[in-house]
Amino acid sequence: MAINSVAVVGVSRLAGELVKLSQASGLTATLHADADAVSTSASLVIETHAGAESDKKELLKKLDARVSGSTVIVSSCLAFSPTAIASWSAAPERVVGFATFYPLADKKVIELSGGLRTGDDSLEQAEEFFRRLGKETARVKDAAGLIFPRILSLIINEAARALDEGVAEEEAIDAAMKLGVNYPSGPLRWADRVGLDEVLAVLEGAHRESGDDRYRPSPLLKKMVAAGWLGEASGKGFYEYKA
Amino acid sequence: MSVNPSKIGVLGAGTMGAGIAQVAAQAGFDTLLYDVSQEFIDRGLGRIRTFLEGSRKRGKLSAEQEQQILARLKGTLKLEDFSGVGLVIEAVPEQIELKREIFKKLDAACGIETILATNTSSFSVTVIAAAARRRERVLGLHFFNPPPLMALVEVVQGEQTGAATMETATELVRRMGKTPVAAKDTPGFIVNRIARPFYNEALRILNDGGATVETIDKVMKGAGGFPMGPFELMDLIGIDINFAATQSLFEAFFHDPRFRPSPIQQRMFLAGNLGRKTGRGFYTYGDK
Repeated sequence: MAINSVAVVGVSRLAGELVKLSQASGLTATLHADADAVSTSASLVIETHAGAESDKKELLKKLDARVSGSTVIVSSCLAFSPTAIASWSAAPERVVGFATFYPLADKKVIELSGGLRTGDDSLEQAEEFFRRLGKETARVKDAAGLIFPRILSLIINEAARALDEGVAEEEAIDAAMKLGVNYPSGPLRWADRVGLDEVLAVLEGAHRESGDDRYRPSPLLKKMVAAGWLGEASGKGFYEYKA
Repeated sequence: MSVNPSKIGVLGAGTMGAGIAQVAAQAGFDTLLYDVSQEFIDRGLGRIRTFLEGSRKRGKLSAEQEQQILARLKGTLKLEDFSGVGLVIEAVPEQIELKREIFKKLDAACGIETILATNTSSFSVTVIAAAARRRERVLGLHFFNPPPLMALVEVVQGEQTGAATMETATELVRRMGKTPVAAKDTPGFIVNRIARPFYNEALRILNDGGATVETIDKVMKGAGGFPMGPFELMDLIGIDINFAATQSLFEAFFHDPRFRPSPIQQRMFLAGNLGRKTGRGFYTYGDK
């Protein structure tokens, strides 16, 4: 089935970017805060929610009831595995996971993943969608956070721990990682960019799914998210941002 | 005895030591390069000569500058020659007993004002400093490989390092043309610790069949914007070096699972598939 209209569901900056990029690529794209107003005839639905499990589950159930059975649902798997997300749908074969961080503009490659019951044709539709947006795709195994978001979140987690333990100051940590190992950004500045809440969601998801303590989030990261210090989007994270 | 702040001593004429000596001489310091045999010294100085010759041929250095830099470099077999230098940087092989032995000897050979620095990447600066009496004038200066090209130096404060020592050493690092960042004496300091998940998590994903080596490298470059993928980078660094760094952090953090090494890395190390230098690592290279 050809993709011509896409419904983007979510309130994240990534959702806004997806709409703009879809429109710029010649697709009809609409942005929705929740499932209620999504067109029943959208050829593809993509949703970016990375927060609480209960909210995500409810959103998937609503989308499932609303859009036609053949429509592919592409869902952010930053915090939950594609198999878990698909289990909240009555038609798990149409649910595909994707995972990336804001901003979309500088991403050449988008990771996609099918759950145990995801259909191959659904994955192909999701690949076709991102190709239309000018992105390459990579199919990876079903897991929360997939590859790039998981590895970056762990680097940020370690940087937050080092900061919390007084090993070095924010600027020193960021400068060291840029100059010592050529990272494109310092990890704390990078965390502010993608949003500390998203980073925490990835760590908590991987921790929950694997039970492995290597994913245990830094207490500082948890406190900052609780305090609403999410980074650029909220005006304060590891650094301050003027509105 | 008074010391000469424009004079720097370097211990160990291997890749790191020779590289640090080159940086110091290029920045205008009179530089003494020590090793235990004339052969090692000549090899180290030869490496510097080759590097400078390359720079001159690429037009980055005049013949006159090249001569001036070489004139500022001298080899020595005697630690006593370090007695009047302002700063000594130790870059001998990463063996704790060897380093402690050398700090004991340096402490006796150098004027009391001389600052003693270790380029260790895997040992505690505090433990090395404890071999000397002047513990407030001992610190870590962690250069990155290769020193002439890498801008960063971690300036590491041991438990007993004085604030004045940190200040003086930071200023000297700046005068050497490098960017100093201050770090406390904790395992892996800043870079080796925070970079660990880049390798370890990629290895874990590979081990779990999450994706192939090629896909993980493609994603980290294409989605993450990293200049190299984790497997390309491990092959460049050397599987043995990377495995040793991970093991050292795992031990230093009392077996915290965050630093757990990978069985894949261990197998490659035992098999001698060490990356580019052996022609075989996660990828194969040339016709080796």
